[in-house]
Amino acid sequence: MFSEVSGSREGGCSLLCHPGSEDRDPTVFDRVKPAYSPCADRFRLGDRSFNRQYAHIYATRLMQMSPLLTERAHQKWGADVRIKKLCDLQMGEQCCIVGTLFKHMDLQPSILKEISEEHNLLPQPPRSKYISDSDELILEDELQRIKLEGNIDVDLFVTGSVIAIYGAEKNDGKFTVEDFCTADLPPQTPRTLVTSDRFVLLVSGLGLGGSHADSMLALQLLVDMVTGQLGDQGEQGGAATISRVLLAGNLLSQSTQDKDASTKAKYLTKKTQAGTVEAVRLLDEMLMQLVASVPVDVMPGQYDPTNYTLPQQPLHRCMFPLSSTYPTLQLASNPHQATIDGVRFLGTSGQNVLDIQKYSGMDSHLDILENTLRLRHLAPTAPDTLGCYPFYLKDPFILEECPHVYFSGNAPSYQSRCITGADGQEVLLVAIPEFSSTQTACLVNLRTLECEPISFSSFNAGDDEESEMNISH
Amino acid sequence: MTAKRAGLITDTFKVVKKAKREKREKTAPTPPQLDVEPLPLTAKEKELQELRQFDQDWQFGPCTGISRLERWERASHHGLNPPEEIREMLLSRETDPDYTHCLWSAYPL
Repeated sequence: MFSEVSGSREGGCSLLCHPGSEDRDPTVFDRVKPAYSPCADRFRLGDRSFNRQYAHIYATRLMQMSPLLTERAHQKWGADVRIKKLCDLQMGEQCCIVGTLFKHMDLQPSILKEISEEHNLLPQPPRSKYISDSDELILEDELQRIKLEGNIDVDLFVTGSVIAIYGAEKNDGKFTVEDFCTADLPPQTPRTLVTSDRFVLLVSGLGLGGSHADSMLALQLLVDMVTGQLGDQGEQGGAATISRVLLAGNLLSQSTQDKDASTKAKYLTKKTQAGTVEAVRLLDEMLMQLVASVPVDVMPGQYDPTNYTLPQQPLHRCMFPLSSTYPTLQLASNPHQATIDGVRFLGTSGQNVLDIQKYSGMDSHLDILENTLRLRHLAPTAPDTLGCYPFYLKDPFILEECPHVYFSGNAPSYQSRCITGADGQEVLLVAIPEFSSTQTACLVNLRTLECEPISFSSFNAGDDEESEMNISH
Repeated sequence: MTAKRAGLITDTFKVVKKAKREKREKTAPTPPQLDVEPLPLTAKEKELQELRQFDQDWQFGPCTGISRLERWERASHHGLNPPEEIREMLLSRETDPDYTHCLWSAYPL
């Protein structure tokens, strides 16, 4: 792991040497250069046409997923299982149906409910979760829908997931589910073996422009660590093994979003500057320090100045006059997909996971991440409760190839887990913690596909040594 | 009580209803005569009818908001084997809005 790599180097006491002794022969640590190819074309929008309805994305999702699920159903329940459309369904007949789930939720915010003056309801308060005991699952195929009951946990599913169910229709018109299956992990191309330890640093939720002064020091420590300006030669050598940095969204803080500005009169806001201006300048300066030394992928997030709907397009270069001159700055889309040294990375800035957390019984970001991988869909709740571009030709969020590292940003705490698929796929799931609140980033080892957190909290009670050092010197 | 009242009313209604039923029975046999009339469809009308059938085929997904060719290509992309002659028909009349857009295109979203 990274700590071992940076600790085991010789010259661990180089800081205690006489300063002049190294002058004639300064040690240079060359940064490892990984083979990198971005493959996120599927998340780039060409023309932006919004005169389509969302029916297309559900239709094409079902078109793409149903052959996969038919195959899975045959694997699971035998080759002679009858796969039927809802319109051919006979009462009491055991069969399998492939369809899109819809979860009927009473608490789901609805614009129609809010504007209905007849009911004279108060606006629904925002909640952390919108599930209730009265939630019902409904399965829809191309033409019809049917209510589900039986062996299927309502809380674990969300609207928009395509699954196959096995069971029979009962007298009351509901379908009793005996068993179900998901599309499960897609096929994976084996990764090329890396001979030496190389790391990719994943950071999320920098929250610039916010009120966390604490995290600014931590962020500077992070930048200094990566660029090799921290520690002795051993640590600098360790830093040279970080081959790439990936910033997964929410570079700016939520507090930079000034909601009042749009509602206030123009003459009142004429001379005020948007909160994002200063924050983007800070970001540019921070990025310049990084990209001068290491390649950086920058993904936008929920609070960043780009389009709101998924897939979010890369931040515009003109916002970064200092850092955009470096070829090492890679402005990426969200979701982002790239192959680094033969290891395929795929992930988002966390909107998809946060949305599923709101509309399902699952809480752990890692569990939700695994669930989306098993559903073979990055963001099943788009376009229902998550903003999404109205695609019609194909649904780009369906996973066609299994990534080796599957991440999501802005999690409340660091979590990671390695899972193995039925066909031997190896996937490292990483929930990247929000840096501004946890001061933690994570390092993924490309050789072993392991992940470890790296924390920069400076004035915490646990880090007495560091704070003492700061005081004494 | 009700029977008496009903009796008075039904007297008047019976006459009307019977008359109507008789008329309907008389009109019912007429449609065969109308069958002779429809003009033979022009080539364009036949093609448009075929295209409208294509629009209404649920297997190829919703048809509003996208052009017929886009819908055909999506269906083909997902291996649903849409009829080849539809594509040829659409490609031959790329500028005619009657051909390019689906039957609901006149209605705004």
